[in-house]
Amino acid sequence: MTAPEPVERTPGPAWARRRAAARRAWGEFTRHRAGVLGLGVLVLVIALAALAPLITDADGVDVTRATGGRLEPPGGRYWLGTDESGRSVLLLVLWGARISLLVGLSATLLSIAIGTVVGILTGHFGGWGSALLMRLTDFFLVLPSLVLAIALSTVIGPGVGTIVLAIGVTSWPSAARLVRAQTLGVEARPYIERSRALGGGHLHVIGKHVLPGVLPLVLVNTTLAVGTAIVAESTLAFLGLGDPVAISWGSMLRSASNSGAVTAGAWWYLVPPGLAIAVVVLAFTLCGRAMESVLNPRLRER
Amino acid sequence: MRQRRWALGASTLVVAMSAGLGAVPAATTATAAAQQGTTLRVAVTQEVDSLNPFLSITRTGTDILRAAFEELTTASAADLSPEPGLAEKWEPSPDKLTWTYTVRRGAKWSDGQPITAADVAFTFNLMLSNETARTANGNYVAQWESVTAPDETTVVVKTRAPQTTMVALDIPIVPEHVWSKVDVGAEPAYPMVGSGPFVITDFKESQYTRLSANKQYWRGAPKIDNLDFIHYKNADAAVQALRNGEVDLVNGLTPTQFDALAGDPDIERNNAKGKRFNELVMNPGAATATGQPIGDGHPALKDPRLRRAIAQAIDSKTIVDKVSGGYATVGGGYIPPLFSTYHWEPTGDQARPFDPAAANSALDAAGYARGGDGVRVDPASGRPLKFRLMLHSGKAFDEQSAPFIQGWLRDIGIAVDVRSVADNKLNEDTTAGRFDLAYSGWTGNPDPDAVLALQTCASRPNADGKGATPDSFFCDADYDRLYAQQGSEFDTAKRAEIVKRMQQILHAQAPLTILSYDNALEAYRKDRFAPFTLSPDPGGFIMNQQSYWGYYSATPASASASGGSSSSTVVWVVIGAVVVIAAVAALVLARRRRATADERE
Amino acid sequence: MTDALTTVEPPAAATPRGGGGGTLRYVLSKVGAALISLGLIVVLGFVLFRVLLPGDPVRTLTRGAPVTPEGAAALEREYGFDLPLWGQFTRYLGNLAHGDLDRSLVFKVPVAQKIGERLGPTLLLVGVGTLIAVVLGLWLGTRTAWRRGSRFDRTATGIALALWSAPTFWLGLVLLTATGGLFPSGGITYPDTPPDFLSQALDTAHHMVLPTITLVAVVYAQYQLVMRSSLVEEMHAEHLLTARAKGLRDDEVRRRHAVPNALLPTVTLVFLHLGLVVSGAITVETVFSWPGLGLLTFEALRFPDYPLLQGTFLVLAAAVVVMNLVADLLLRVLDPRVRAS
Repeated sequence: MTAPEPVERTPGPAWARRRAAARRAWGEFTRHRAGVLGLGVLVLVIALAALAPLITDADGVDVTRATGGRLEPPGGRYWLGTDESGRSVLLLVLWGARISLLVGLSATLLSIAIGTVVGILTGHFGGWGSALLMRLTDFFLVLPSLVLAIALSTVIGPGVGTIVLAIGVTSWPSAARLVRAQTLGVEARPYIERSRALGGGHLHVIGKHVLPGVLPLVLVNTTLAVGTAIVAESTLAFLGLGDPVAISWGSMLRSASNSGAVTAGAWWYLVPPGLAIAVVVLAFTLCGRAMESVLNPRLRER
Repeated sequence: MRQRRWALGASTLVVAMSAGLGAVPAATTATAAAQQGTTLRVAVTQEVDSLNPFLSITRTGTDILRAAFEELTTASAADLSPEPGLAEKWEPSPDKLTWTYTVRRGAKWSDGQPITAADVAFTFNLMLSNETARTANGNYVAQWESVTAPDETTVVVKTRAPQTTMVALDIPIVPEHVWSKVDVGAEPAYPMVGSGPFVITDFKESQYTRLSANKQYWRGAPKIDNLDFIHYKNADAAVQALRNGEVDLVNGLTPTQFDALAGDPDIERNNAKGKRFNELVMNPGAATATGQPIGDGHPALKDPRLRRAIAQAIDSKTIVDKVSGGYATVGGGYIPPLFSTYHWEPTGDQARPFDPAAANSALDAAGYARGGDGVRVDPASGRPLKFRLMLHSGKAFDEQSAPFIQGWLRDIGIAVDVRSVADNKLNEDTTAGRFDLAYSGWTGNPDPDAVLALQTCASRPNADGKGATPDSFFCDADYDRLYAQQGSEFDTAKRAEIVKRMQQILHAQAPLTILSYDNALEAYRKDRFAPFTLSPDPGGFIMNQQSYWGYYSATPASASASGGSSSSTVVWVVIGAVVVIAAVAALVLARRRRATADERE
Repeated sequence: MTDALTTVEPPAAATPRGGGGGTLRYVLSKVGAALISLGLIVVLGFVLFRVLLPGDPVRTLTRGAPVTPEGAAALEREYGFDLPLWGQFTRYLGNLAHGDLDRSLVFKVPVAQKIGERLGPTLLLVGVGTLIAVVLGLWLGTRTAWRRGSRFDRTATGIALALWSAPTFWLGLVLLTATGGLFPSGGITYPDTPPDFLSQALDTAHHMVLPTITLVAVVYAQYQLVMRSSLVEEMHAEHLLTARAKGLRDDEVRRRHAVPNALLPTVTLVFLHLGLVVSGAITVETVFSWPGLGLLTFEALRFPDYPLLQGTFLVLAAAVVVMNLVADLLLRVLDPRVRAS
């Protein structure tokens, strides 16, 4: 469990302090070369994904407009060769980033949202209801999530939404436990006592004190979780639980494997999507680790 | 102390691993010795559901069973026409309701017992009396009244209606002296007493099925000793195994794999015209057998003009080239061209070549005006032409061709929402009429009856959406009349004429459009086996035939020096030795370095 | 990671739940919690595959093949769909108590039997894979922590992070393409291998190489990273400074004090992870046609064979719960701090 320094030590509007703290954190962050590198890669990838419709022609990923041959090796015209329908692999990787990142981000947001709510509730309120909720959290924590996700998607049918839901619903417990621990840490501090004594209600305590104290941790956790979610997306898509016409890195690998790219030795079709996943996941992880050590000075020398 | 234990553990592991690697040559040599040109090893990617002849319905299961159980008649290698099997001859009564089969004398089960008419009657009567025994082939006996065996060599079957499939009963005949004592639904014991060219001797689910030559086989024992069906989870693994020489025969190749094998001097490829067609069905207003509308299909699809426009906007040629890599035939009539007797090809003004412009103007003329977003609107219901397209999750053809269909239909102002659905869910939804567009496909038989029946009014479900196998929910009086006619027409030429007229109706009404006829792509090791008998010949397949000719014809290639394994043995010895030496060296080096590091401090 | 959708929180050790009581009480509370989890899994298995399952059960069971009304009724009786939901639940519990998981639709044999057949290969693959991953992970973790900041540390940690980031199935596919024919492409043995033990064992070892490498590549990284960070933390602990002050050599300090303490969270992680590795085997087994539980799940998914899916879900989930319990109990034995609390 990490035990970050609370950003805020005294009650009251402290925007200036927070800004200063953020500036300090940023300064600290830039000292982690790996983290900066990760951030740079992420900014680049997200920008490319967002701009894909502007910088490339959408017709290039439309199979009915494809001009290349089947599984052409890399060459002057197609830098990364073509897929089994004659589309440029480079273009597909670029467009695939959109769905992969979108699914990764929205699944993470869903799981973090559930986790944060559960974590704060159980940390703040206590009592048997909270104990029950924690027991449930522990239960979901140990449940093999891939198996559960498979079970879920057989029940609700394949699709992008299914994948988001399956990842979101199965990966919230670790966030819940982290947030709960953090909430307990924040609430143990004397100023919460003072705030309560001054008549602050639950909403006030949670909104003004707990949430700001918990947010940095949530942010770190989100960053780390996106990578996991992207890999999970590719795994589920590979197993055939995704949208059949949407282009994502996972579905590309599925098509590659289904159409016989392994036999044909079409490495240009197999390697780029997997490499893209690994690079983006690594970038999120490096970023997250750097943020973690900014928050937790004890980790700094690691 | 602790450190030593660690080092011990690590070195044990390294030794164990390198032993595993280094000792592999032994295994490879042993494998080679056990094969010695007498085993045909076939790679299969489909799971064997069961080897119980009454239960098995998968392609692989039935294919294996056909090699192990002779049927009354068998399909000839050349043109799939009925030819004597266990029955030497057969004779229908003038009203075609009573069939008399004469069972071959002298044929024996693999355990040496004679095969008699009693075995045949036992098998059929078991199916008539036992629900479980009808699981796989119940459709053949649905209209049967009685089966008797008046003497050793005669079987008499009485039916309630004329049935053209009586000369092509795809039912494995089982030995009474074995099956009268066991539970019909149970998994059989091995070796399985059979009557075909091979005997099933061993079955390890999702690993392999092993057959050995049946020395008692009435046509004479096969030229190989063993026939192994080895299970591979995906075609890539199977192809890799073929290249490595781990297996001798592979089918179900994707176009990419088929192309990739082109340059291999030891491998011969077989590009067979397939029995299967892929179709896109369009819900023409689903209804029950009594005409009660069911489901939630888009009402606009009741209009044949719209259905024809959709059919015209789909480019079968591109699907063949891009999705099937050219290894398929462009879609035409309902019966695949492999069954040339019954196949019909639209020509002249009936032909409907790919033409999006024509489809667009036909839709304009029919009053489907484009809305603001470019999607046309149905004037009758006011609903935009937004259709769901359901595809079989995991089926490569569906998954690859769906984006094409989506793109082409977008060009004629139709929005398509592609949904990937598990097979059984798709069946359930289409049977209940809950679809607009859906993928479907069937494997044809030499006898077209079963496939034609799918498009009759009677194949629509009952009020609960059960009890039938609807395909497109097509219901047309003319079609049904012709269907009845062909079913009792025993003159092939006249019957073919009727069947072709039925296909014209389907083409004109367009409740479905044929996307392509799949080829079957196979490959085998020509360094180990001589060419196999194809069925039909020419242009047919080795595996999944209507009978067993392919496997029965397996002949080891002359001078089959399986030299591959000895050279690979050398490779393995070298790799093993290198790994062991490297591991030992690394270990020694690591220990020495640690020692010096410690001393330095 | 990869197949586990969530990363495991390693040190349950670091947060010993307080509350006095003796060993018995600790064991009882852990066993009790595990039993509750098992109960919840059983309920979830029922809800997922009986209550939420859309559509007509008989049609689902027959996968759309036509059945006679009698046949449909017989099927409904066999699987208990003729009962009200509550009756179905009690029937399910009763069957489960007898180890009866209904009959597989695809294989037409009891699901329990099928799972039993597939358990062995999975245990073999996961066992060997975990063993190698643990040895490799602990060894590299110790070395990198000890030489923190060195080139060795940067390289090894970088490789571990990169492998941890890649999808398992992709590593498998790339390995398959790259080794092109050096190893069998799938399965566990050749059918014509002589049946004697040695040949079978060697053939199995040969088939295991690629799947094991894939599994190890993905799993060891996490062990290494956890071992490294807990050792780094441990090295700042006071007793190490004391030990060093006593004049013990660096190597001895590491061996006698730091490593044993740092091992704790890592061993816990290994056990916590074992269940997840089992379910992670789904993709490895799928890529390499390894006939284990993971492949069985994938096959069940393709049809889909709901009774079989339900069975594999129950078994895999229960395995994780049991492994967690073992981890908790083991921790109690190993860690004096937990014992004291």
